[in-house]
Amino acid sequence: MDEAAVDLKQALLNDLECPQVHVEVHHKSNSTAKTEDIRAHVLQLLNRHCVVFGDFMWTEFDDVFLTKNVNSVAIVDTELKVKGRQPIDLSKCNIFVNVFHLNEEGPSSETLEEENEDLVAAYHWILPAVEFHGLWESLIYENEIKSNLLDYVTTTLLFSDKNVNSNLIAWNRVVLLHGPPGTGKTSLCKALAQKLAIRLSHRYRYGQFIEINSHSLFSKWFSESGKLVTKMFQKIHELIVEKDVLIFVLIDEVESLTAARNASRAGTEPSDAIRVVNAVLTQIDQIKRYPNVVILTTSNITEKIDVAFVDRADIKQYIGPPSQAGIFNIYVSCIEELMKCQIIYPRQQLLTLRDLEMIGYLENNVSKLSLLLNDISRKSEGLSGRVLRKLPFLAHAFFIQSPTVTLEKFLQALSLAVERQFEERITLKENV
Amino acid sequence: MEKAKSDHPTRRPHSRPNALHRRSSREDSEVSVVFPGLVTRESCCCFTSELVKHILHQRHQLPLPYEELLRFCQRQQEGEVIRRPKKGEGSDSRQCQRSLSDLEELMVQLETFFTLTAVPRVLLLLGGTAMTPKEMYVIDMEGVQVGNGEESLRTRPCLRQIFHALFLADPFSDLRSTSPMSVVIMVQGHRDCGTEWFRPKLNYKVPVRGHTLTVRMSCGASPTPAAYSNEEYIWFQAPITLKGFHN
Repeated sequence: MDEAAVDLKQALLNDLECPQVHVEVHHKSNSTAKTEDIRAHVLQLLNRHCVVFGDFMWTEFDDVFLTKNVNSVAIVDTELKVKGRQPIDLSKCNIFVNVFHLNEEGPSSETLEEENEDLVAAYHWILPAVEFHGLWESLIYENEIKSNLLDYVTTTLLFSDKNVNSNLIAWNRVVLLHGPPGTGKTSLCKALAQKLAIRLSHRYRYGQFIEINSHSLFSKWFSESGKLVTKMFQKIHELIVEKDVLIFVLIDEVESLTAARNASRAGTEPSDAIRVVNAVLTQIDQIKRYPNVVILTTSNITEKIDVAFVDRADIKQYIGPPSQAGIFNIYVSCIEELMKCQIIYPRQQLLTLRDLEMIGYLENNVSKLSLLLNDISRKSEGLSGRVLRKLPFLAHAFFIQSPTVTLEKFLQALSLAVERQFEERITLKENV
Repeated sequence: MEKAKSDHPTRRPHSRPNALHRRSSREDSEVSVVFPGLVTRESCCCFTSELVKHILHQRHQLPLPYEELLRFCQRQQEGEVIRRPKKGEGSDSRQCQRSLSDLEELMVQLETFFTLTAVPRVLLLLGGTAMTPKEMYVIDMEGVQVGNGEESLRTRPCLRQIFHALFLADPFSDLRSTSPMSVVIMVQGHRDCGTEWFRPKLNYKVPVRGHTLTVRMSCGASPTPAAYSNEEYIWFQAPITLKGFHN
């Protein structure tokens, strides 16, 4: 009896102390194998590899079953909290295996019927969607933004599961991401939804991602806009009722729906806009009762948003332009991709920032190119993520124009492209 | 394959005097057909494709019945001069061609699918997404007892029976006419049937919301209908989404 108790205690302790490791298994779209079978085979695979360093992805397998049914097995998000790559002993971790199928259909549009004309008011994606695949990994932020968002939703679900009385402890399921343009707010919303749909696949059958077209909710008729908003949310209600579906509602550029109401006091905002704000606020209060919905919003101009809306957001996360380290990592991922496509050839290994730090930024044959890239990253500070992601393309377009190029040549071109980007900025400012 | 279109009883369903207002505005309706014997799988396939064509026309996703449309397009391709009342023919006829070729592809693939596995159910989903359609049409063949060619009923009388039942139930007359919608086809089949064309959707669950019409077929003669476990029979989705169009 006592022994059993000790065992149980041990198990519970282990449970708490063990780090959690999430394994994402991308199920082939034409495979009909049972999820349990795949899970068993993946666990076998993991048993053979006791220790892994940081995130890792397998795409080739010895196991015939896995080769036949699975695209990739990936250990993910171990580097979000722990800085850098650390060895992980899989035998001591709680392993969560999430098997997912990607949906290939693309978005379908939700229309509101109004006076014979159909308005496209929202786009729906069934998650996990093929368009959002790899988005999460491509977004590079510091300050644990990604893990904060994941933890937020986990807590939300925990509170809902335990039936915490929402009158005593209130949480609204509203996330507001704000910051300058091009920093990946909208992409982060999509990636977060995808990530959660995969990670929570054991509780929810699938996810739905609804992107609201905010401008379409304004009617040409006075006083109708508020009703359109209500109609829109009515449709969302219909979806939420199904308990085994996880719903994400994205309101992009939310300031257009929730423009500050006090502006109207000055007479600059028509009263119809006030009704829209009111409708949105009441509808959000309606929706928060349901445990399976998360509202994601983004904005560039936070000061224009109504205070009552900002107040309802649980997380108000600022997303700024990437730091130098972030820029370095973004460039490395771009160069990796170009090497994979053999535009940069031959393949050369770049050192990570950590490696550079360890050798004290000493220049030698191995570190030369990495140091050059580090210089370019320093030079690029102040550029947004969106610009950074297209710079490799522009570098090729303007300064290379050959089907293959060495890494060294490419980095020189990249450096030129960065300079050109800043020049363009200056001329744009002068001409305005 | 015999063509069963010539004597379609539902060619002009709206011309019938709508004296019977018995159909309430209930969301779900059901039409049951009991065959007086066994049917072959080929017949089941034929029922499905005829029903799909019929529903698409009745729900205003095809401007003419499928066979007529096909003839119309063929004539157009052969270069015959046809008077058309509307403008903007270019994009219209291209849309028409695309929809028709998609539909044709689907019919061919359905035929193959029926040879690979028993098909207890087929869903025709209009509008919205596959998970939350606006309208759902269920072709339920779970109760059908499949026999071989000799012991089974012939296709055509059964087809006539189905359309007769549909005609009596008249499920389409009080539905509003709609704008073109996207059309998704789901078929249920055996896990290991090895279809190359249809995509398995392991997590799919039949939607519960939206307007639903079920056409339930069964065989009166059969004492024990085959059991289809959800474990082994999974949903497959056709990889093309049909687009309705108006001429």
